[in-house]
Amino acid sequence: MPTAPELERVPFTGLLVRFAGELRAAGLAVGSGDVLVYCSALTRLNPADLVDLYWAGRTTLVNRHDDITVYDQVFRRFFLADDGEAGDPLTPMLRASAEAQGALAIPSTEPGEPEPEDEAILGWMASDVEALKHKSFTACTPGELAALRRIMARIKLTPPRRRTRRAAPARTGPRPDPRRTVREAMRMHGEPARLYWRRRKVRLRPLILILDISGSMADYSRSLLQFAHSAARSGGRVEVFCFGTRLTRVTGAIDCRRPDEALERAARAAFDWDGGTRIGDSLDVFIRDWGRRGLCRGGIVVICSDGLDRGDPAVLASALERLARLSHRLVWVNPHKGDDPGFRPSTLGMMVAAPHIDLLVSGHDLASLERLAALLPGVS
Amino acid sequence: MEGPGSVGELTETLRQGGYLADRGLSTALFVALSLDRPILLEGEVGVGKTEVAKVMAAVFGRKLIRLQCYEGIDTNQALYEWDYARQMLHIRALSEHQVTDPDAVDKLFGPKFLLERPLLEAVRAGDQAVLLIDEIDRADDEFEAFLLEVLSDFQISIPEIGTIKAASPPLVVLTSNRTRELHDALKRRCLYHWIGYPAAEREIEIVLIREPGISAALARKVVAAVQRLRELDLAKPPGVAETIDWARTLDFLGERDLANARDTLGAVVKDRDDLEVVLDNLEEITSGAHRA
Repeated sequence: MPTAPELERVPFTGLLVRFAGELRAAGLAVGSGDVLVYCSALTRLNPADLVDLYWAGRTTLVNRHDDITVYDQVFRRFFLADDGEAGDPLTPMLRASAEAQGALAIPSTEPGEPEPEDEAILGWMASDVEALKHKSFTACTPGELAALRRIMARIKLTPPRRRTRRAAPARTGPRPDPRRTVREAMRMHGEPARLYWRRRKVRLRPLILILDISGSMADYSRSLLQFAHSAARSGGRVEVFCFGTRLTRVTGAIDCRRPDEALERAARAAFDWDGGTRIGDSLDVFIRDWGRRGLCRGGIVVICSDGLDRGDPAVLASALERLARLSHRLVWVNPHKGDDPGFRPSTLGMMVAAPHIDLLVSGHDLASLERLAALLPGVS
Repeated sequence: MEGPGSVGELTETLRQGGYLADRGLSTALFVALSLDRPILLEGEVGVGKTEVAKVMAAVFGRKLIRLQCYEGIDTNQALYEWDYARQMLHIRALSEHQVTDPDAVDKLFGPKFLLERPLLEAVRAGDQAVLLIDEIDRADDEFEAFLLEVLSDFQISIPEIGTIKAASPPLVVLTSNRTRELHDALKRRCLYHWIGYPAAEREIEIVLIREPGISAALARKVVAAVQRLRELDLAKPPGVAETIDWARTLDFLGERDLANARDTLGAVVKDRDDLEVVLDNLEEITSGAHRA
C-alpha cells in the first residue's frame, strides 16, 4: 500500500483528487480508497504522460463497463478542456438537476412521514381494502392509489424454486457426507457407526419484471412498479425493467426501503412515461443487452403490457421466441384481460405473443395481482 | 524473474510470450503487479481474458493456478479438503497394529492429509504464482463474499493447522463475461479493465503471432471478414479466438482465400440463427475481404 511520503512524489495529487471529485459528480462511485490507489499507481507510471494518466485512472477509478463513456467524457473535459465548459463545472450539474425536476414525478404519499402515523392510516384504510381490491387501477383517485400501494407493499412475492448443485446436510439424501461421517467416526474411535447424508439445496429462481410504461398502460404501470418494488424487497433476485419507446433498467433505482422514494427514483430513471410503445424493439434490446448474457437464464420473466405495439410485429414475434427460449417461464400480465375468463387477445401484439407465452394473467386490480403472487411459486 | 520496470517493458515481454496487449491492458497489468492488487478483466467472449493470465504466468516463470468457477462452487472445492478416505484407512491401520502413538490423532489433521485446492495453493505459492479465477460471474454471490475475504489479506485459516499467509501475494487475475453484475465490494478490491475487440491491424498481428505458419494475405482476409461479422447483428459475435481458429482451419485445408468460406463457417459462427444471417450476407462478407 502507498505511504504518505511516497504520494508526495506525485506532484499534482491535488489535481488528481479534484478529477476524482469531478467523476463523483458525474455519478461514478469513486471512493477515497480508489483515489489513493490511483495516485500510487501514478507513482509507478509517468504522471506527465496523458496516456498513463488516462489508463491508470480508467483501471483504478472505473469498475463498471457502462461507466467508461462517462469517464472518457469527464477526462476529456477535465484534462483536455475541449468541452468549452471546463471553466465552469457548475453548468452541467445545474442542467442535470433541472432535467431531474422536469421528469414526471409520481404522486407522493407523505414522504418522510414517521412510522406510527403510517400505521394509523393503514388501520383506517383496512376497512376499504375489500372495496379497493376489486377496483380497477384506472378508476382510482390518487389517494386511493396511494392506499393501494401501501397494501400492495404487504404482498409477499415468492418466485419458484429450483434445486442447486450445492448440497447441505440432510437427514436422508442421495449423497453421503464424508466430512460429517468421519468426524462422527472419530468419536467412536474410528468406527464408522452411522452414515450421514447430504441433499441438494433449493433456491429461488430469478424473477425479471418488464413493465410497460407507455400512455396506454401508465395508470397500471405505476401500480405495477409498486408491485415490482415489493417483489424486490421480498428477497430473492429480482430485476426490473421499464419500457415505452426504449428500455430502461430500474432495478438499481427501486432498491430502497421507502416505496414512494423508490418509485420517484424509478420515474426519474425511465423518462419515457406516457409515451408510445415499441414492445418488440424494447424486448429485443432486453435480450441483446441482458437476456443473452444470462440474466434470465432459468428465471421467470413477467412482461406486463397490453400488447398495443407500434413497432413491427415480426420483431416482437422473434424477440418473444428468443425470450421464451432463454428464460424458464414467460408470464404475460395484461390488465385489459380483466376478470373475463373468456378473454381472447385482440391486439396484434398479443396475438403475435400468444404462442410463446406460458401463462397469461390479468393485473388490473389488487386481487388479480394477489392471484399472480400466489401463482408464481407454482410456475414450473 | 523480476517484475517489469515500465509499461513498455511489460508490453514487450508479453509480446515475446505471444500476447499482444494494448497500452490500457499493459498499464493495468503493470499497476496490478506493482501494487499487488487483483485485476478484474471483463470483455466479450473470446478476446483473450484467460489467455492474459496464462501468458503472464509463462513469461514470468510463475506457476499458473486456475480456479474455474461454476454455479454451486463452494469452499471445499476452492480452498482445501481433508482426504477422508485416507484418514479412514489410516485410522484402520492404526487400530489394527495397536499403535499407541499419542500424536496419532494430530497427525490425522496434518499436512499429509490435506488436499490443497487452488486458493490455498496460491496463498502458499505467494508471488511465485499467478492465480486465475475464471468466470467469476458464474459462481454464486456467497462465493463472491468469501473470495473477498481471501483477496483482501491473502490469508487462510484452517482450524486444525493454523493460519497460512502469503508473504507476498500472487498476481490475481479475475475474469468475468458479465452474465451478471458483480458485487461492488469485490470490484472495489480490484483494478478493472475492459478488453474490447481489437482493431483490424492489431488483430492481423495477433493471428500472425499465434499462428506463424499462416500467410499474411490469408490473415488479412480472415480478419476483414470477421470484423465485418461483428458489425452484423449476431447473437454470438466471433471473438479473437474464433478468428484464430478460422484462420487455422482455412490454412489446414490449404485455402488461400475465402472462396469456400461456407464450408468452414462452423469455426466462427456457432449459433443456428446467426448462421442464417451470415449465409444471407455471405457474398458481401467475403467480397469485403477480397477488397481489403
